[in-house]
Amino acid sequence: MSEEMDKQALLDEAFDSIIEADELRAMEVITKAEASGFSLEELLRDGFSTAMRELGDRFASGEVFLPELIFTSEVMKNVAATIDSKLDTGEVKKKGVMVIGTVAGDVHDIGKGIVASLVKTSGVQVYDLGREVPAEEFVAKAIEYNADFIGSSALLTTTMTEQKRIEELLEAEGIKSEFKTIVGGAPVTQRWADKIGANQYCEDASDTVNYVVKILNTETKMI
Amino acid sequence: MEKYFTRMGDGEGIWMTKEEIKEDVLKGMETAVLKGKSQPLESDEIDRLIEILTMPEKNVSVERGHEGITTFDAGTLKLCVRQAIPIDRSTAVLIHERVLCSETMELCNTDYSYKAIKNIAAEEAMAMEHAQMSCILPLFYGAMPNMGLYTKPDGPVDNWSELLPSGQIKEAMTAQEEAAKLCIKDMIYVGSALAEAGACGIQFDTSGASGDADAFAALSAAKVLSEKYPDLSIIIGMANEFNLGMHGKLTFEGERLAGQYPAKQVKSAEAAGAHNFGVVINTNSSRSFAWNLARSLTYVKEATRVAEIPVIVNVGMGVGGIPLTNTSPTDATTRVAKTMLELGKADGL
Amino acid sequence: MAVMHEMAAGMGGIRTAGDLVARMVMKGMKIGPAKEYVANKLGCSIFDLTDSAKMKEIRESLDIGTILDRPQASYGMAAKIKIAELLDIKIPCVELFKKKIGI
Repeated sequence: MSEEMDKQALLDEAFDSIIEADELRAMEVITKAEASGFSLEELLRDGFSTAMRELGDRFASGEVFLPELIFTSEVMKNVAATIDSKLDTGEVKKKGVMVIGTVAGDVHDIGKGIVASLVKTSGVQVYDLGREVPAEEFVAKAIEYNADFIGSSALLTTTMTEQKRIEELLEAEGIKSEFKTIVGGAPVTQRWADKIGANQYCEDASDTVNYVVKILNTETKMI
Repeated sequence: MEKYFTRMGDGEGIWMTKEEIKEDVLKGMETAVLKGKSQPLESDEIDRLIEILTMPEKNVSVERGHEGITTFDAGTLKLCVRQAIPIDRSTAVLIHERVLCSETMELCNTDYSYKAIKNIAAEEAMAMEHAQMSCILPLFYGAMPNMGLYTKPDGPVDNWSELLPSGQIKEAMTAQEEAAKLCIKDMIYVGSALAEAGACGIQFDTSGASGDADAFAALSAAKVLSEKYPDLSIIIGMANEFNLGMHGKLTFEGERLAGQYPAKQVKSAEAAGAHNFGVVINTNSSRSFAWNLARSLTYVKEATRVAEIPVIVNVGMGVGGIPLTNTSPTDATTRVAKTMLELGKADGL
Repeated sequence: MAVMHEMAAGMGGIRTAGDLVARMVMKGMKIGPAKEYVANKLGCSIFDLTDSAKMKEIRESLDIGTILDRPQASYGMAAKIKIAELLDIKIPCVELFKKKIGI
């Protein structure tokens, strides 16, 4: 019981340190966890990252604003880097690489930028291709960066079709199975994702992080 | 169990039982209550909403006495541009007036942003003067602040959407403040040109689309124009259910703009001297029509409860509960219209 | 889609008193007071404001523009000059026009 309570206390403290963007406190929690023999990976996943997702939800409700979210994600990056440096290589799951962009003909990039920021905090290397990105470039960059995920955002019913083009290009080149394609944007739905053959529809930044983390945890690639 | 034909947020037709519809109505309402701190709908309003959703008629309408006025954002973009009917904008205005029963119309440009229009303000002013000679209905001019256009490569300011993810918070905030200044200047310039040309009103459409600084720009321009042209109607339309806090610290007349939901946004619009306020609640394409309509209604009712100026609900594609599809189904469209006026107590659409 | 909203919930535009009520709403009056104001000015009931049969007669008698053309009836700017007087409001394009022609 006491061990469980200690574990929960550590997780709670980790959570609070991120909510308050208190890097000093976060580092103290890591030190405590190490001293207690508590799994740092679990601390990262169930403590710190959970807090980032909570902040993402609060941002989506307008309770937390983007500069605060970004500041906290910088803290989170340092926390993740510190934990990384302490872990044995045997424990490390591949962090993953994502290319993300707003599709050709579409200049909306606020949501995409938020997704990119939050996904980064999970330790995933994110290459933000910007806005008005042709389907060919999504595919070319995914190959170049050896990406695991291709994320495309479309905010217009007229530009959604570009997401279908990405799928078609991947199929045509016979490399569809090498990537997980994630689609998002206001007019996009899971039905659309199913229709075009995308792997996943994600409603918002938190959703994307959850999906990416799930895939990385269950589909470990050999480094 | 009896099922009723309804829609998903993307327009797809589905069949739901009354219990399923009620469950979605309650869930949609709860989202607005929790996130937007709105008052919940009364039980008789919930019952009436479910009744509207399950009416057997394909198209429904308001009961007599509940009619409101209709406005049409980007009105002259539709027939002549998007529907590709080869007519000029004055003709489009007259078709709306004489054939389509519009109460008001909005003259606008295909490039629906104040930054772009600044270069052709004189031509737009001439178009307004000519259109006003032949039409009877109130004709106003509208465009979007679209503050993102002031960022590189389209404008001189660094892109805060790129600065923020790289942790350059201070730089991102400064960039937004710079862009806002430029945007305000352009909106006042264009607004003045059209006011001098006899526009009945000026609309700042989708204010806040680029975040709270974008909303700040629209409010600031509105305040200047409302003082400069007392007979000019100023209409401010929202962009999302709340002002996205891209800056986070901007205030207008003492109120922080980031995170403001419709009920707070309408008060800021009043403080800016606006005459009408357009509530916008984006449709979630993955949720049902019932969920979306209940959520929108809850927000609208909260806004109309506190507003001293008329609240005109945005009920175009993908907003106000309307499905996110280019060919909006009339069963959904008319149910939204009926709901917003009868239950939402809106002054118009 | 707009026409569906207008049919389902609008007042009827210039077929009725929709444009007149809209002018008052655009000045900042809520819909209820705007309807009352216009009804008073027209000398009819609020109920009649959306009755196209009744409003046709009223609009023709006041010569403030209707959907069907008639010889020598007021349209466009002429109708709006009368509407401004009727509603006792300033309509910017009317003021501009008067200034242009020196009245």
